[in-house]
Amino acid sequence: MDIPKSGAVIWKGQLCTACGTCELMCSLYHDGVASPARSRLQITYHPFKDIVDCHVCQQCDSPTCYSTCPLANDALCIDELSGARYINEEACTGCESCIDACTFDPPNVRLNDEKSVAFKCDLCRDRAGGPICVEYCAYGALQFVAKDQR
Amino acid sequence: MTGSYGWAGQILWVDLTAGKITKVPTAEYEPEKFIGGLGLNTRIFWSLGCPKVAAFDPANPFIASAGPLTGIVGPFQRGIISSISPQSYPDELFSYSSFGGKWPAQLKYAGYDGVVVIGKASKPVYLSIEDADVQIEDATDLWGLDTWATGDELLGKDTKAESLCVGPAAENLSRVAPVMTRTGNTAGQGGFGAVMGAKNLKAIRVRGTGGVQIAKPDKLMGLIRLIAKEKVDGSGEPALDLRKPLAGNPARGELVKKYRTRFSGCYGCPYQCMATYKVPGLGTGAASCAQWNYGAFDSEDPDSVWEANVLMQKLGLENYSFEAILSFLYLCKKEGVLTEADFKELGIPLCKFLGGQASGHEFLAALLRPMAEGRSVFSNGLPRAMEHFNKEAHNIYRSLYTARGYSIHHHETVGGALHWALDTRDTSPSAADEMMFMISPDIAQYFGVVGGAATLNQPDNTDYDGNERNVAFSVKHQMLRNSLTWCEWHSKPTSFFKPPDMDIRVLESQFFSTVTGVEKDVDELWRAGEAIWNLRRAVMVKRENRTRNEDTIDDIHFEQQTNIATTLPLDFKFGFGIRRGGPLDRARFERLKDGYYKLVGWDVNTGWLTRTKLEELGMKDVADGLARAGKLP
Repeated sequence: MDIPKSGAVIWKGQLCTACGTCELMCSLYHDGVASPARSRLQITYHPFKDIVDCHVCQQCDSPTCYSTCPLANDALCIDELSGARYINEEACTGCESCIDACTFDPPNVRLNDEKSVAFKCDLCRDRAGGPICVEYCAYGALQFVAKDQR
Repeated sequence: MTGSYGWAGQILWVDLTAGKITKVPTAEYEPEKFIGGLGLNTRIFWSLGCPKVAAFDPANPFIASAGPLTGIVGPFQRGIISSISPQSYPDELFSYSSFGGKWPAQLKYAGYDGVVVIGKASKPVYLSIEDADVQIEDATDLWGLDTWATGDELLGKDTKAESLCVGPAAENLSRVAPVMTRTGNTAGQGGFGAVMGAKNLKAIRVRGTGGVQIAKPDKLMGLIRLIAKEKVDGSGEPALDLRKPLAGNPARGELVKKYRTRFSGCYGCPYQCMATYKVPGLGTGAASCAQWNYGAFDSEDPDSVWEANVLMQKLGLENYSFEAILSFLYLCKKEGVLTEADFKELGIPLCKFLGGQASGHEFLAALLRPMAEGRSVFSNGLPRAMEHFNKEAHNIYRSLYTARGYSIHHHETVGGALHWALDTRDTSPSAADEMMFMISPDIAQYFGVVGGAATLNQPDNTDYDGNERNVAFSVKHQMLRNSLTWCEWHSKPTSFFKPPDMDIRVLESQFFSTVTGVEKDVDELWRAGEAIWNLRRAVMVKRENRTRNEDTIDDIHFEQQTNIATTLPLDFKFGFGIRRGGPLDRARFERLKDGYYKLVGWDVNTGWLTRTKLEELGMKDVADGLARAGKLP
C-alpha cells in the first residue's frame, strides 16, 4: 500500500535557546510527568561551543520504522488524518526493531524502559492544537509543517 | 505524600571523611511545612544542632537543595546552597546562596531533593550522581583545573548532565569563591565554593533520567499556559532583561551587537534571561547581570569586559565582590589614598580607569590570578583586605559595604535597609519586592503595604511608619521563593498581577498545590514562609547570638549619603547602578524595628523569637530548643 505523507516538526537552530520547555511539555502532555528523558524530542546543548541540536522524528516519507515493525498497523501505525507515524502502546511489544531501523543517529524512536514499549513523536495527533512543543516554544525555534507543504 | 508528587522524596547524605553515602527520606525534614530549598536546608541545619564550627571545619555541612516545583516548566529552576559562610564578616554566619541553570532540575530527575555533604575527603574527590548510582570519585586529575575545563572533563559530550564545581580560587580557600555550573550559573555570594574547597570536593556531577511526578497534570498544563503563553508578566520577556544593551555601558552594547549568538538560561524556563556570547579568542559562554560590572569601569573595551567575565568564571571568583574591589581601587587612586608606588607594590598595573596606560588584559590578569592563587591582599574579599590598608582607605571601603561583609546592593527603600539589617546576607534579590512597592504605589496598596515616596531611603522621608509591613511581606516571600523554588526575578508583586483573581501569591499557591497535591491556599503557603523565616531566625539566635542589637546595617549608612543601589562610584555615568541616598535616621529606624518585631510576634526588647509565635506556627520543638539554650524571652 502507498504510505501517505506526514507533516513534521522542524527545528530552527539559530532561534533555539535550548531551554527545554519543549521537552518538558512533551513529557507532561504524553506521560503526565516532567521528564526530559520521556520527551519525544531531544535537545542537546554544549555551552562552551554554542552547539545546539535537536533530535525529533522527521516522519519520513519512507519510514523504515514502520516498514520494519513486525506488527505494522497494529504497533507502529500511520495516522489517517495527519499521516503521523505513531506507536500504539497497547500493541507494541518493545522488540526495538523500529529503533534499530531508524536512519537517524541517535534514533528518533526510543524505548520506555518502564513500560517496555517504544515511543516517538506522534505530532500530538489527538491534540486539537497540534504539537505541544511547537505551541509552547517561545522563540519560534520549532515549527509544524503540514504534509502538503513539505 | 512526599515522594509521590513534586518532591523527589530522598536526600543524599554524603560523609566525605567516612566515604559513606546514605539516602534519607525527605519526609524526615517536614517538607510540607518547610517546602524545600532554603526551608529544607535550614530544617536540616537545625536538626544538626546548628553546629558552632568554622566555615572550613569538616563539620560544616554543605547543603544544596531544589524545591518541589524545580524541574517543571517555568521559572522554578533555582538550587539553594546553605552552609556556614566564609564570606560573611566579621563572623562566619549560617547563610545561603541560590543559583540556576540545569543542575537543580537534574538533581530532581535523578531522584533527590537535596544533597548534604559533611566531613572532608583525604584527597581531592568529586561526587558522581547518576540516578540511584552515587559514587565518591577521585578528582586528583581535576584539582587545579579551571571551572570550564572541569565542566568539560566531567560532562564531556553528555549535554544533559550538569556539574557544580569550583575553580582554583576555592581550592585556595578564597572567601569570595562561588560555586559554578558549566552553563555560567553561579551561587555567587557567600563564598560557598571555598566550603567545597575545604572539603576537598571539586565537583558534584549529576545526571537524572527520571522525572518530577505531578499530582494534577491537566491542571498544571493550564497554569503553565498562564505563565508561558498568555504572558501575564508583561511582554513575556525576562522581568529584568539583561540580554540587551544598557545605557551608559557602551562596551556591553558592542558585545551584544557583535558577539551575542542566542538567548540562554535555566533549563525548563521559557523566559531565558541570559545570553550566550561567542567572542573570538576569548571563549564562548553565558552572561546575565553581575558579569557586566567591569564594563562600567572599562567601558570602551568590549573584549576586556568579556575577558573579565571569562577569567572570573574560569578562576572561580565572584563578580559582585569584584565590583567593590574595582570601586575601591578607583576611589583610592582618585582621592590619592593609594599612590602609583602603592599600586606597584600591590602588583596592579594602572589601566585607563586608574589613570594609566596598561591594557584591560594586563590589569585583569595581574589582579585576578593572584586573587585566585591566594597570594593577593584581595584573595578573601575587600573587608578582610583592610588590615593591609590605612584609615583613609578603610573609610572608602566602609562607603562600599552595607552589612556583614556584603557590599552595597539595593537598599533604596527604608524597608530594604531593614531587610538587610535582619538577614545574614545580601538581600537585594528579594528587595525587589520593596523596590516594586516604591515604584508602584497602586500595587503596594493592593497588597496592604506602603508605596511610593513613603518607602524611600531619602532624608525627606520623615516617617518610616508602615514600612514594617513591606519588610514582613518581602521577607516571607523571600523564604517562599527560595523554598518552592521560584526565581526572584519572576515573582515580584507586579508579576502575574491581574486582580482580583490572580496575583503572584495566588499563582504560587496554585502551582504548589497542583504539583504536590498538598492543598495550601495563599494564607497557608505564606504561613510556611513565615515558619521558614522563624526557623532561620532561630538558627541566628541559637548559633550566632543574634539579638536586636545586631539587626542593623553598617554605621556609615546612618552617617552620610552613599550609593544605595550598588558599589559603583557616584561620579560614574553608568546610571543603572547609581542612586544616591540616605543617611538613615537612627531613631526612626529603631522605631521601625519596634514595629516590625511587634508585627511578626517577636520580642521587642531582645529581637528573640517567642514561644507564642513559634507554637502558633507549629514549631513547639524549636521553642523548646531555644528555651534549653536560654534564648527564649
